[in-house]
Amino acid sequence: MELARQAQAGDESAFGEIVRRYSPRVFSVASKFFRQRSSVEEAAQEVFLKAFTQLKSFEGRGSMEGWLTRIATNTCLNMLRSAKRRPELTVSDLTEDENKWLDDQLYDIAGESRHSVEQTLIAADLADRVLEVLPPEDQLALLMIDGEDASVKEVAEATGWSESKVKVRAFRARKKVREAMDKLLGNKHRGGAVTNEG
Amino acid sequence: MRDEHIIDLLDSAPLNSLSMDQVESIRTHNLSCVACERAYRAATISQMVIKERSQAVVDPSPFFQTKVLAVLRERQAAESVPAFARLWKSAGALVSSMALTTAALAALSFMVPTQSPAEATATAFSAESVLLDQGSDDQMSYEQVLSTIYADEDEAK
Repeated sequence: MELARQAQAGDESAFGEIVRRYSPRVFSVASKFFRQRSSVEEAAQEVFLKAFTQLKSFEGRGSMEGWLTRIATNTCLNMLRSAKRRPELTVSDLTEDENKWLDDQLYDIAGESRHSVEQTLIAADLADRVLEVLPPEDQLALLMIDGEDASVKEVAEATGWSESKVKVRAFRARKKVREAMDKLLGNKHRGGAVTNEG
Repeated sequence: MRDEHIIDLLDSAPLNSLSMDQVESIRTHNLSCVACERAYRAATISQMVIKERSQAVVDPSPFFQTKVLAVLRERQAAESVPAFARLWKSAGALVSSMALTTAALAALSFMVPTQSPAEATATAFSAESVLLDQGSDDQMSYEQVLSTIYADEDEAK
């Protein structure tokens, strides 16, 4: 609160300290939305500039980190809303590496094989492609709950949404991603007809 | 559970938050249901890629703080300049060049002397007569032509 008060009074070094202290948190939030370093940095910069102009609205009731997390989430959501969404994902959209990675997973469903750094990156790229079919709000809910094991309450606090809205978004996102993945796997192994529906 | 699809269960919560009993019943059901087995497989892979994606975090560069402060200073400096000055800064060159062009055109219209209508008619008339006169000078009579031709023939003989 003291830092915020000093920064609000025009103390540049106090604001610099806020940036230094909370940039890892803001980068972590922005990384949920963007993969490219330049995009993450651009979003984080916008968050701090917005925070500076809104310092008056920070009354010290909650933590500075929570306040910045909320600004970061809303800023990134706005940035992502302007990006074009992919209506559907097909096998032809995948790279050779991503195709191979999917094949590997099909034969190693228990996930027992160790993943190299390269494999991890391929999986993250594939996740980005699958997530592109979702609205940004659904992406966020899914990444926080399924990816980071955040609770519904934590997501609600970070976004300002109600808990029921978070649950609905996460459910919808999970369903859509599963269906997109199912379709991809089905297309890869066309011929394996579904015979039993229950 | 054997007669119920487990797809709704897959979508209701992250896979890793399901209890052992739920996982066991899913596996049992999948033995006899291809659709649910496929859905479970897709859900497992989806969960895996989302986990990997959420672990990909970009760290701030050491210069980030300096960069933000520099941009902040830049924006504050831009905001401190009055609106008219900012407008002039962006459009000043265009406005100046337009003003200069207008002044030049005005000077050409009002300051360069022009001919009176009478002078202009006289000039036109004299030019016309010169042309006509030239035409009459150049025109040779029929006799002149004949004499010129036969004179050449006589010289040739």
